[in-house]
Amino acid sequence: MLTGRAVLRRSMRAQRGRILAAAALFTGYQAGEAAVPILIGVVIDRAVATGDAGALPVWLGLLAAAFAGLSLCWRFGMRVGTLAGVRADRELRLAVAARALDARGGGALLPGEAVSVATADARRTATVNFLVPHGIAAAVGITVAGAALLAFSVPLGLLILLGTPPLLLVVRLLSAPLERRGAAQQERAAQAAGVAADLVRGVRVVKGIGAEAAAMARYRRTSRESLDATLHTTRAEAGYSGAVIVVNGLFLALVALVGGRLAASGEITVGQLVSAVGLAQFLLAPLGTFGEITAALAAGRASAARIAGVLAAPAAVTGGDDEVTGPVSGELVLTGVRGPGLSGVDIRVAAGESVGVVVTDPAAATALLRYLNREADPESGHIGLDGVGFGSLDPAALRAAVLVSPHDADLFEGSVEENLSVRASPTADLARVAPATRVDQVAEALPAGLASAVTERGRSLSGGQRQRVALARALLADPPVLVLHDPTTAVDAVTEAGIAAGLRELRAGRTTVLLTSSPALLAEVDRVVFVDRGSVVATGTHARLMAQNPGYREAVLT
Amino acid sequence: MSTPPPGNAPLPIAAPERTRKLVWALLRPHRTQAVLAAVALLGAAGLSLLTAPLLGGVVDLAASRNTGAITGRVVLLALAALGQGGLAFGGLVLASRLGERVLAELREGFVDSVLALPLERIEEGGSGDLTSRVTEDVAAVSEAVRQAFPTFVQSALVIGLTLFGLLALDWRFAAAALVAVPIQVATARWYLRRSGPLYAAQRVAAAGEQQQLLDSFGGAATVRAFRLAEDHVAAVGRRVDTTNGLVVEVTRTQTRFFGRLNSAELLGLAAVLGMGFVLVDARLVTIGAASAAALYFANLFGPVNSVLFLLDTLQSATAGLARLVGVIDERPRAGAGTGAVPADGSVKAVGLRHAYVAGHEVLRGVDLDIPAGSTVALVGASGGGKSTLAKLIAGIHRPTAGSVHLGGVALADLDPVALREAVVLVTQEVHTFAGTLAEDLALAAPGADADAVRGALATVGALDWALALPDGLDTRVGAGGHELTVVQAQQVALARLVLADPALAILDEATAEAGSSGARVLETAAAEALRGRTGIVVAHRLSQAAAADLVLVLDRGQVVEQGHHDTLVAAGGRYARLWAAWSTDRA
Repeated sequence: MLTGRAVLRRSMRAQRGRILAAAALFTGYQAGEAAVPILIGVVIDRAVATGDAGALPVWLGLLAAAFAGLSLCWRFGMRVGTLAGVRADRELRLAVAARALDARGGGALLPGEAVSVATADARRTATVNFLVPHGIAAAVGITVAGAALLAFSVPLGLLILLGTPPLLLVVRLLSAPLERRGAAQQERAAQAAGVAADLVRGVRVVKGIGAEAAAMARYRRTSRESLDATLHTTRAEAGYSGAVIVVNGLFLALVALVGGRLAASGEITVGQLVSAVGLAQFLLAPLGTFGEITAALAAGRASAARIAGVLAAPAAVTGGDDEVTGPVSGELVLTGVRGPGLSGVDIRVAAGESVGVVVTDPAAATALLRYLNREADPESGHIGLDGVGFGSLDPAALRAAVLVSPHDADLFEGSVEENLSVRASPTADLARVAPATRVDQVAEALPAGLASAVTERGRSLSGGQRQRVALARALLADPPVLVLHDPTTAVDAVTEAGIAAGLRELRAGRTTVLLTSSPALLAEVDRVVFVDRGSVVATGTHARLMAQNPGYREAVLT
Repeated sequence: MSTPPPGNAPLPIAAPERTRKLVWALLRPHRTQAVLAAVALLGAAGLSLLTAPLLGGVVDLAASRNTGAITGRVVLLALAALGQGGLAFGGLVLASRLGERVLAELREGFVDSVLALPLERIEEGGSGDLTSRVTEDVAAVSEAVRQAFPTFVQSALVIGLTLFGLLALDWRFAAAALVAVPIQVATARWYLRRSGPLYAAQRVAAAGEQQQLLDSFGGAATVRAFRLAEDHVAAVGRRVDTTNGLVVEVTRTQTRFFGRLNSAELLGLAAVLGMGFVLVDARLVTIGAASAAALYFANLFGPVNSVLFLLDTLQSATAGLARLVGVIDERPRAGAGTGAVPADGSVKAVGLRHAYVAGHEVLRGVDLDIPAGSTVALVGASGGGKSTLAKLIAGIHRPTAGSVHLGGVALADLDPVALREAVVLVTQEVHTFAGTLAEDLALAAPGADADAVRGALATVGALDWALALPDGLDTRVGAGGHELTVVQAQQVALARLVLADPALAILDEATAEAGSSGARVLETAAAEALRGRTGIVVAHRLSQAAAADLVLVLDRGQVVEQGHHDTLVAAGGRYARLWAAWSTDRA
């Protein structure tokens, strides 16, 4: 079982070279930052105080070197550290994407949640790679500054080194309730933003029913609630800023008091006093870094655990590695299939036959489709292709032989033509498929014909256009077995009748299953199977069932 | 097709002068608070500058071995810290409260204006633009007001006052410090030129990646059915490479920015130290003053970096603000109607013509006469102009020629409120509002009580499933809540119609998405919702036409046949052929 810890470890190990290089560079940067106040003190001691004109350029030169060092180290440390982050980020995102689209399915997250795991959680996990070098460097910086302070004076050094951590602890204690309240406030603010975006997205509906005033009243209420929550936290936030200033200032005064007395008594030089004050300020940054890193590491671990949860989710269908061997003749046999709304369904579709399946319970129809597409396996029973059980076949290989196209099939970003040709078989011909599925009419109505862009999973097309493109895409794939679910619900009656005839002609001699209750389509198939209350209750031609089976009549008629 | 191409008349962006005026108008009622905040923050910045000279004093006293006087300076240091903390607290409280109030008024003004815009205007401008304004631009302005602006003001005050402090020590220290300024100005300009487009590209890339992931994950079943997983993972990889490439590019730009600022710091610091050497040597200042000057300058590094770095946050906030103000200014003046109220739900249209794009007419002269209380079905192939006719009668688009009268009053003479009370349009766009189901329905009739809401749901056959939701009518639905099926969402839309209770209802709903059994449910619901009012129905299923009082067959923007279903079937024309196709296999 994959754990969050393992995900995090793997992600860091792959980038360990970059992490170490960034740590070295950030250490150089910290050393430079610590050297600047020390060198200011030295310049004052060795040049300004003594009036030694020869010493000034030497020490200023060293100051310049320190600046150059810290600047370059930071610049390249940031770059290497960023790379260590984004490279890991890429691997994690692709791993999540590959898992979500895996042929065996499973890991039933809502699309929105999966997107958030692939983006936000991947980023938080990968950020650890960027932060660890900072942590290493901060530790080195503290050691260097501490050593310098202790070299000046043991009591002063101890005061600063032992005084700073409690100082930071006080600051953290001050900010802890703020973080909690901040989170609550952010939630309120997000809610207000959410309501606004939601109203704007639904503005056509709001205006269609004349609800402008009611909608505005609702938004104003949310916005005022968010404002009230924010006003409560501003006091705490400002209080925190003020307190940090006071605590830091008082500590600085204490350092000045002790250091000043030591300098006055000649135990340290004046320059060392200046350096000590500077270092006391410098130390706040690396010590503060530790606090931030602790929080980010916790977030990274939690995110890594969510990623692990997605990656390790069990598959929806198990077993089956066999390839589909030889040419598929296309005999489809369902025996005793049970599942939601299905209590033992037996259907035999002969190779090359076209069969309509009418299922009264929509849940049962959905379940049947999922089994045929191997999105799921039936609770019990058997489905076989040319005598081979679905369960023993590799799901991807099976789908090459049995293609299932649902009525709300998704299109993808690209042109209409790209969507059509996505799995087009060399044996299929757009010139025949386009008129048969009435996709030629779709192309005529679109501004750029087949080259028109499809966006938002096909939502840029009307329902009828989308449905016809999806149908043509399935027919162009020309699979040995084609399963279509309600392919014409969004088109008008004349178009539907034309498509029904076109389907028959295009699929002549190829196994075709039409899961629908549309009389126009059912009239064009060889045979109809009527599934009611979970099992097959009648079989025959559409005309015969219409004439003899009242239940069937009711199911397919308005 | 039947919708106008979006973005052919983009929504405006306000001119800087107009933006300033609006912000000023929002600030004016709070001006006392603004002045007090400024005074407090200035005081805090002033006190912060005492630290360096006081420390310099301690250095001087230590150099002269005057141990006793050190304590006095240290007490002053402590008092300065206390005063600075107190003033900063007061100033920040005042400033952030002011900012939050102005922000709230701004976002409310924006939403109010969007809701008041004519739909036609929204469609011309593209609703995606509005969504991005209400999300991204509001967020950019909020972030600037909450985070960037306080830091920016505090840092700017510290910088300004530090220059005064250096001047007070000796004017030559200030002159030496200014050596850094040309580099800083050049660096800031260099950065602003690059950062804006880079951040914009980053937002576009992030949105693209998000969309790709939603596409692929949302369509996972289709991806699997067509064995496209590899292609889609590769497409995600390309998107990730673009976003990550931009992250690297942003890092490079930022590190170069700070690298240049480092050289400015070095130059300035060396100049101040060198000046200290010269002035101490000439006995013009004390060592303490020279130390203080160096510390002053070193303390500027942080504030200068923040001011310059925040410039681009403020720049994008300013751009966002201009886009918000642009929409606020677009708010139409209140109703231009004559105050006339339609007598009933009858509809009369004469010579209606409409073109979304000049020269490409979608409607080519349509006449209608619909008595109050009757139901009319619009029939015909897609692209025939059915939806456009529906929108013209609903007053959402103005016809290019011709007129529509509603209950004896011309649409053009109705003010927006009266229009919406008389006509309700339910379109194919299913939007369930985020919030509870009861709140969603209350939008249509804010005063409706629980019984009326239940009654409306019962009318459209939705009460059973609504009560069966996890929390009944108080279940959260819409974005982030319980997901309704397409049929349920469309039933909710019809229940809103029942609650709004207009004289004329126009239905152009999406039975298409519902599958055949869902379509039947919706057909019944629509028939119930139309009871007792005039109804115009864009009929996707001919059973709807068969039940209507009048059928209009539209083809290429014209009414080619009209009459009762039986009459038209008997006449053996276009409608009869449609009906034959529809009913053959149903017999």
